Parts: sequence; C-alpha cells; structure tokens
Amino acid sequence: MNPLRKQRLYALIAVLIGSLLATWLVVSALSENMNLFYSPSEILEADIDENVLIRAGGMVKQGSIEKSKDSLNVRFTVTDYQNELIINYEGILPDLFDENAGVVVRGNLKTDGSFKAIEVLAKHDENYMPPEVAKLIEAKE
Amino acid sequence: MIPEFGHLILIVHLVLSLLGGTLPLLVVYANYRSLEISIKKLSVTLFILITISFLSLIYSFLVDDFSVAYVAQNSNINLPVYYKFAATWGAHEGSLVLWILAMNAWLIGFIFFTHSKDKDFLATVFSISCQVIFAFSLFTLFTSNPFERILPIPPLNGADLNPSLQDFAFTVHPPLLYFGYSGLLIPFAIAVSAMLFKKDTREWASYSRPWTLLSCSFLTLGIALGSWWAYYELGWGGWWFWDPVENAAFVPWLLSVALFHSLITSQNRGVFGKWSILLSIFAFATSLLGTFLVRSGILTSVHAFALDPERGLFILAILAFFVIGSLLIYSITDFGHVEENKYELTSKEFGFLLNNLLLVVLAISILFGTIFPLIYEAFTGGKQISVGAPYFEIILFPFALALGLLQGVALYLSWGKSSSFSFLPRLFIESLSIFSLIILILFVLFDNLYLSSFATIFLASWILVGTLQITKKRNLSYWNFLRKRLAVTFAHAGMAILTIGVGVVSSYSLEKEIILSPGDSTEFSDQTINFQSIDDLLGPNYTSKSAVVSFEDGSELSNIVTEKRTYLPSGQITTEAGIQADLFKDLYVSIGDNLQSNIWSFKIQIKPFIRWIWLGALLIAIGSFLAGVKQFKRR
Repeated sequence: MNPLRKQRLYALIAVLIGSLLATWLVVSALSENMNLFYSPSEILEADIDENVLIRAGGMVKQGSIEKSKDSLNVRFTVTDYQNELIINYEGILPDLFDENAGVVVRGNLKTDGSFKAIEVLAKHDENYMPPEVAKLIEAKE
Repeated sequence: MIPEFGHLILIVHLVLSLLGGTLPLLVVYANYRSLEISIKKLSVTLFILITISFLSLIYSFLVDDFSVAYVAQNSNINLPVYYKFAATWGAHEGSLVLWILAMNAWLIGFIFFTHSKDKDFLATVFSISCQVIFAFSLFTLFTSNPFERILPIPPLNGADLNPSLQDFAFTVHPPLLYFGYSGLLIPFAIAVSAMLFKKDTREWASYSRPWTLLSCSFLTLGIALGSWWAYYELGWGGWWFWDPVENAAFVPWLLSVALFHSLITSQNRGVFGKWSILLSIFAFATSLLGTFLVRSGILTSVHAFALDPERGLFILAILAFFVIGSLLIYSITDFGHVEENKYELTSKEFGFLLNNLLLVVLAISILFGTIFPLIYEAFTGGKQISVGAPYFEIILFPFALALGLLQGVALYLSWGKSSSFSFLPRLFIESLSIFSLIILILFVLFDNLYLSSFATIFLASWILVGTLQITKKRNLSYWNFLRKRLAVTFAHAGMAILTIGVGVVSSYSLEKEIILSPGDSTEFSDQTINFQSIDDLLGPNYTSKSAVVSFEDGSELSNIVTEKRTYLPSGQITTEAGIQADLFKDLYVSIGDNLQSNIWSFKIQIKPFIRWIWLGALLIAIGSFLAGVKQFKRR
C-alpha cells in the first residue's frame, strides 16, 4: 500500500475505534446516571421502584420543616400547590434552604409514599429558582 | 454624568469596531486602497475606549451611584471598597464589558507582536476579530446595558453583591476566565483568515500557537481558581461538581489543549492543517456556547446570572453567525497544496493524532452529557432529567487513563518514525519506583492504603518519569535539558501532580457530620475534635456566629474558626468554612444548623493532597504561559 494511504488508514481506524468506544461509553454511562425529575403530583401517578434514584422538587411548605433536636434528621413537605410530598433527610441543609423557597432533592421514593433524600440541592443565590420548580409555579399561574 | 459618558464611549466603541470589522475587508477584497486605515492605531483606540467605559462603570460602583440599575443590583453602601470595585464584574452586564475589554487586549497583543510581511492577512485577522467584538458590543448595548439608569427616583441603597461572591478568589477568577475564553478569538480569526488567504499551514500555525497557549494558560488558572473558590466558599469541600458552568469552561479548555498540540505538529511538519482550522473554530464556538448555556438559563447551574431568554437568543445568533460563516468558508475553500509528510504508527505525529482524538472525543462526550437534559426535554415533551456526576466520572476515567499513558511516552517519540523503544523498560521500572515511593509516603501519612487510588497514582508516576527522565536520550546535562524544555516540563509535571492530587483526594478523603455543644469533643480518624466556643461577631456588612473548633492529633493542636454569616442588606446566610491548609492534608470544618440553645451541627472533613490539584493546575498554567512567550522570542 502506498505509505500515504496507509497513514490515512491508521488515522481512520483510530478515529473509528475511538468514536465507537466513546459512543458505547456514553450510552452506558448515561443510561445508569440519568435522574428523572418528578413533581409531587407526578409522583402520585408514576410507578417508581424504591431503588431507582430520582429527583423531586417543589416549594417547601410553610411551617412544614421539622428538625430533630438531637440528630441531623429533618422532615419537610414540598408542594406544587396541588399535591404534597413528605421528604426525609439526614444531614446538614444548605444555607438557602427555607420555607416558601424552591428546592430540588435527589433520592428514593419509599413504598409508604415518602421520599428519602440523599442530597438537597443548594444554590448560592437567594433569587435563584431551580428551573423545574419555576415551571411548576408557572403552570399553577 | 459619568455613567452617560461611559455609555456614550461604549457606543463610540461599537461604531469603531464596526468600522474595524468592515473597512479593512473592503480594502483587501474590493481594493479600495483609499479607505486604508492603520489597524495598529484603531486597535489601540478601541482598547482605550473600552477601558474608559469600564473605568466609568468602576467609578459608578466606587461612588455608590445607585441610579445606575446595575450598581443598585450588585452593590451596597456598606460593601467594603475592594468588593465594590470587584462587583463591577460580579454579574452579567459588567462581566460582558470586561469580556470585550479582554478581546481588545488580545487583539492589540496580536497586532503588535505578530511579525508578518503580509499586511493584508493581518488586516483580515484584525477585521474578523473586530466583527466578533462588534457583535459582543451590540449584545451588551441592546440586551445588557450596564449603564442603564433608574430615573427619576433612584433607590437610596443597593441590593448588595451576592455574599458568596464577596471573596478574594472570586474577584480574580472571572477576569482570568474571561481572558482565557476571549483569547480563543485570535486563533479563530487567524484560522478563518488562513483559509481566505490559503496560507501555508506552517506559517499560520506559527501565528496561532502563542495565542492558543496563552489563552489555555489563562483558562487553566481561571478554572483552578473557580475550583478553589467552590472548595472553601460553598462550604461543601468538593473541588469539582460537574456543574454545567464548570463543563462550559472545561470543554473549551480541552479543545484549546488539543489545538496547541495539533498546532505544534502543523508548524513543524505542515500536517494536520485542516484539522487545526476546524479545532480553532470549535474551540472558539464552545467558548461562546458555554456563555449561551450559562446565561440563557436553560441549564440548571449553581451560577445564577439574571436570566433572560432574549439574551440567550442573541448569543445563539452570534454563535450561529460565526460558526456557520466559518464552516461555510471551510467547505468552499480550495486548500490547494497540502503538505503530505509521511508518518508511521510509531511517530510523534501519530502520538499527537491520538492525543487530539482522545481530547476531542472526551470534550464531545462531556458536552453531550451537559446538554443531554435539553435534548431529552425536547424529545419527550418536557420531561426533565439531570445527568449526575457519576456519568462524567465514568466517561473521564478511561480517557484520562489513555491520555496519561500516551503522555508518559509522548516526549520520547520522534517525527516521522521512532527508531527505538528501548526507553520503555526503564520508563516502566522508574515509574514503578516512584509509584512505590508515593504509596509508602501515603501509608506513613495516613496508615491506610486504598486500591482505588493505585491506578491514578501509577499514571501520575508514569507521566512524571516520562517528563523528567527523557534527558537520558538526548545527551544533554540534566539541568540544561530542563532549562531548554522548561515549558513542557512544567506543564507535563503539573499534569502528574494534579493526577496525584485527584487520585489521593478521591480515595483518602474522610467526612462526618457531628453534633456538639461547646466544650464537647469527639473522635474522628486520628483527630480529637473539640468544639471550643461560639461567639457573636459583627462584620462590615454582616453579623456572624463564629465557632472555634480545635483538631488535635496527639502532637499538633490547631484551632479553626468557622462562621455562619447573615449578610445585612439581603438577609442571605452563608457558611464560611474553616480550613487548616497543608501540603499533605487540609482539615476542613463548616458549621451547620443550630439545633437547640448552644448545640450545633458541624461537617468535618479531612482532605489529603487536595492542594496538589491546584498546584498542578498552576504548573500547567505556568508551563503553557512559558511556551506561549517562547514562541515570541523565536521570531
């Protein structure tokens, strides 16, 4: 084979193998690490396995935050103004977590209908509203 | 008056940049020689204008002119003076002016430091840059005017700068990042002009290389500072979150690294010419795309700029215009003679090809993960998802592994064909020794070994040895060699140090959330944690609960202060983490909630080797800066 063609062939093979591997990697990594977002109303309708990691969110209902006095357990209710979802979390909450503020949590839906959060998402701007929550409020209006 | 003056100057700048974007092209292509202008003078004028405009914005901040809406939204009478100054680029509008200023600065640099006899070519590069600058100025004036007034009744006080931005690293991080992003304008303009003039690959690559290296250096510093800032300011102790805004900077960084490696090949061997042109276009495009993603609000990010869909559309239009335009030129250009130097599988060229392939595919995969939520939403009719950090980690690992293995041998390869691979056994043995040494040190320091860190640590040793041991091949004295190859040594050794940092910190980090009242203590790893005291403190624009927590490991006692601050104007609460920084481990404590009377929760963390990540990044930045500067000297 002419050296120049050979050279192009090498490059082509490298590109092909690289892209194939990358595509496989991307597809498999994505299918395992894609977290769907549910509003409290959607959770009621959806059939979600207890072991599937999902995200949920809405507004923190006024007066619903119950903090334990001797542990890091917290329980609060999020609402989309139609339905509500009770969230349990153990850990330190972000500074901007407050009642009547938007929140997004990541975790599992338990069989009793409550939500066990492993992460409460923090944003560092008080005016910031997670887009998912902003859409819920928009839909309400 | 001053804000109107600044506004006016910005308009003059807009008009002149339009002139700069059109006149030289008319001269070159329509041969209207009578319209010829001095691009040197014009570039200096543009720079002076934008600087004056920026200074008037700074002035408005310093004198608390709250009739200027942007100042009212981002400053406050009680804000310390230094932060009033830095608040100028603390939000969307001001940062755009800084961005334009940075583009102008790069353009001046290019015009004055590029020695080419081809005046028409220089004029074209200048003109294309001016078009981008014009587009940005138009965008600023029409959608994001920082000088807009609140009249007739201005507020008495401003809303304050976002408290988490009131911090030193933050004040330096954006300018560095904007300089990095905007520097990619020059390689882009050179690439487009090179196509228009059918420039010889070696020639245009030599013009482009220093600017790509310098932008990459600024990007590296900007990203590293952002990571450092997030580490101590957000109070979570993480150093990288795979947040869209971080990815938006990481992708252009990867492409700029790919680009300057490709340019080395183009300049020395005359190959990869078209590829370098495409890379120049896409590196620039991703820097714009990042801006679009972050500031249009279509992606969830920790960085919340005031969001406005109109702005998003405008940036998208700019992006589309320049990318489609340049790709159109690419597709209709007859490149004519392209050098076809032969290279074997074992050649340096093929090494660079693999390097580029890996970097580019990695960049695409990260970009894909970042925008996938948008694609998903569009195809499923509004279903929302997020792509978690594990996706990016799964993707990164194999690419980093392959890149690292390649990096270790890369410097031994020769152009065309490498004659001998006798360096391999030695490289392997020496890497293994360094690897064992590091493992031993880790064992002595932390009494523990984690298999999960072995791969990264071996990789780091491999890169380090490959970078430093190459002297054996070239018969140079060691120091002479290091001096001659200072830049690449810095950059590649920096990569090794960063890799060690990442490997150790991700395996050896410890964290625990605890509840204590003053006087209580608890055990954590080999440390005794003692909650000493908590006091009320009054800052210039905040009140704070300031807790002293001591760490004692038998020999050493350190008192660390962590604060829960309430910023007065906005009432926003922030946590100031307390960090005892050390080369080998950081002790990190952040105060949590007040559970009852004097009982508080704390998050305590031990972060071994985390400094190495930023130290490595600093070395990479120094390395690429030196490499960029060296390119000037050569001519």
